[in-house]
Amino acid sequence: MVELLAQTGLNAIYAAAYMSLVAVGLVLVFGVLGVINFAHGELFMIGAYVVVAVFADFQMPYVLAAAAALVFVGAVGVLMERAMFAPLRENPLGGLVASIGFLLICQALVSVQFGVRMEHVPPVTQEVIVISEKVRLPVHRLTVILASIALLSSLWIFLRKSKFGWALRASSQDREAASLQGISISRISIIAMFIGGALAGIAGALTAPLISVNPHMGHSVIVAAFIVIIVGGVGSLEGAVVASIAYAFVHTVITTFWDGVIADIVGLALMLAVLIVKPTGLFGTADRA
Amino acid sequence: MLLEVDNITVAFGKVSAVKGISINVRDGSIVTIIGANGAGKSTTLRAISGLEKLREGQIRFAGEVISDLPPDKIVGRGIAHVPEGRRVFPDLTVEENLRTGAFLRKDLDQAEADLRSVFESFPRLSERLGKNAKTLSGGEQQMLAIGRALMAKPKLLLMDEPSMGLAPVVVDEIAVIIRKICAGGVPVVLVEQNAQLALRLADYAYVLETGRVALEGDPDALLDDDHVRAAYLGV
Ligand SMILES: Nc1ncnc2c1ncn2[C@@H]1O[C@H](COP(=O)(O)OP(=O)(O)OP(=O)(O)O)[C@@H](O)[C@H]1O
Ligand SMILES: [Mg+2]
Repeated sequence: MVELLAQTGLNAIYAAAYMSLVAVGLVLVFGVLGVINFAHGELFMIGAYVVVAVFADFQMPYVLAAAAALVFVGAVGVLMERAMFAPLRENPLGGLVASIGFLLICQALVSVQFGVRMEHVPPVTQEVIVISEKVRLPVHRLTVILASIALLSSLWIFLRKSKFGWALRASSQDREAASLQGISISRISIIAMFIGGALAGIAGALTAPLISVNPHMGHSVIVAAFIVIIVGGVGSLEGAVVASIAYAFVHTVITTFWDGVIADIVGLALMLAVLIVKPTGLFGTADRA
Repeated sequence: MLLEVDNITVAFGKVSAVKGISINVRDGSIVTIIGANGAGKSTTLRAISGLEKLREGQIRFAGEVISDLPPDKIVGRGIAHVPEGRRVFPDLTVEENLRTGAFLRKDLDQAEADLRSVFESFPRLSERLGKNAKTLSGGEQQMLAIGRALMAKPKLLLMDEPSMGLAPVVVDEIAVIIRKICAGGVPVVLVEQNAQLALRLADYAYVLETGRVALEGDPDALLDDDHVRAAYLGV
């Protein structure tokens, strides 16, 4: 029993790690641009396909493929901002609708290029850390956990200590007041979309060798990311991290002991409960409701 | 003339909130804009800062047209804006709020010195340095909003109802601060519903009514004007 719990805990930490990368990016983009980016899950999917192309097909080193995913998907984020969100700045609902269109385009382009079947990404490493007979941690999962911690800590320091980090936080709290301090809404939106895209892309790249890569894989993470954000409080970066860890734990534990579908239902029920009890989310502030 | 607002019109959909307003501000002066709810005071200030687009007219600052620039560029030209409702960043600390005001500055040493002088002018802010702005009282938040605007080292300061919702003692403090800012070489455009306060402080005054300048002139003369006394001073 202790061993099962330990193993479940490890699985949950792994799930929380990459979910946090996805959720934090979504929160950052919503906070700064005021747009719910429905194509955020597709950015995760594109990150995974960069690994399919660079690592599996072209047989370049995995680290290079992951770095390429970070930069390329970040650039896709910037493209979305310039092409869709900037022209629709005064119309957040329009931005949301445009992002749904972009989601479909991404899925179609990837399907045309790679086909709709599941892609098999060869394992980067087969090594497993054996903690005890029933508690094992594949090294690649450990890599995902450590990389996520490193990325999220860097983001944290960037947001707390750098001038543009402040500007991002200020803009997510009051965009108009931020522009009155000389912060360019255009530039700050580009930065937010780059970071949001890059984090989703690297999350896809990190998990690609461990999950089934297909053009519709964005769905699963986007639903989870929304639950995480609503539970954590829309607009709160700290909340998104804490909530994604909590959600991943609950989800993994329920999947392990009962069933994945029940876990999804519990997640949605949790979201409803939070919305009823505290509509601004567990960590949200009133003005961001 | 430092600021020339030249016959501007601002509309929301079909409704014009500002209908051909002209306002001038010369160096070293406090100019006030008073008027009732919905007269178009905030809209005028927001147009100067680039937050509202002009339908007609032009705004010039230090002789250059600024009415086609985005808000961040207008800040760069030297116009800081203390917005209606203070609009401090609730989850940034007091210090972070102030530093955000200096976002565009390159003279970092001078900005540090200005930060110290803001803390000297507003000792209550220095006591709350590391606290999130949302934990401050209304008066403190107003001081913070003013301090943040001063951190931009502006050539002109726009203030939208700085006395709103504050206790009379705090309003007096704000009045002293506004005088000091102007004496320190930064002219002020002061939008107020508190006409008594505004006319006491200003060197020149505009009275807005439903999007137009109904009256303008020397504040002392307006204080004696029967219409102004009846409509805005309640006497
Ligand atoms: N974003 C907007 N959309 C539509 N109408 C607006 C908007 N902002 C202001 N208005 C309208 O424009 C008019 C002028 O508003 P404004 O805020 O400039 O008034 P004000 O003089 O600042 O009033 P107050 O003293 O209440 O702050 C009002 O009729 C207001 O309803
Ligand atoms: Mg107003």
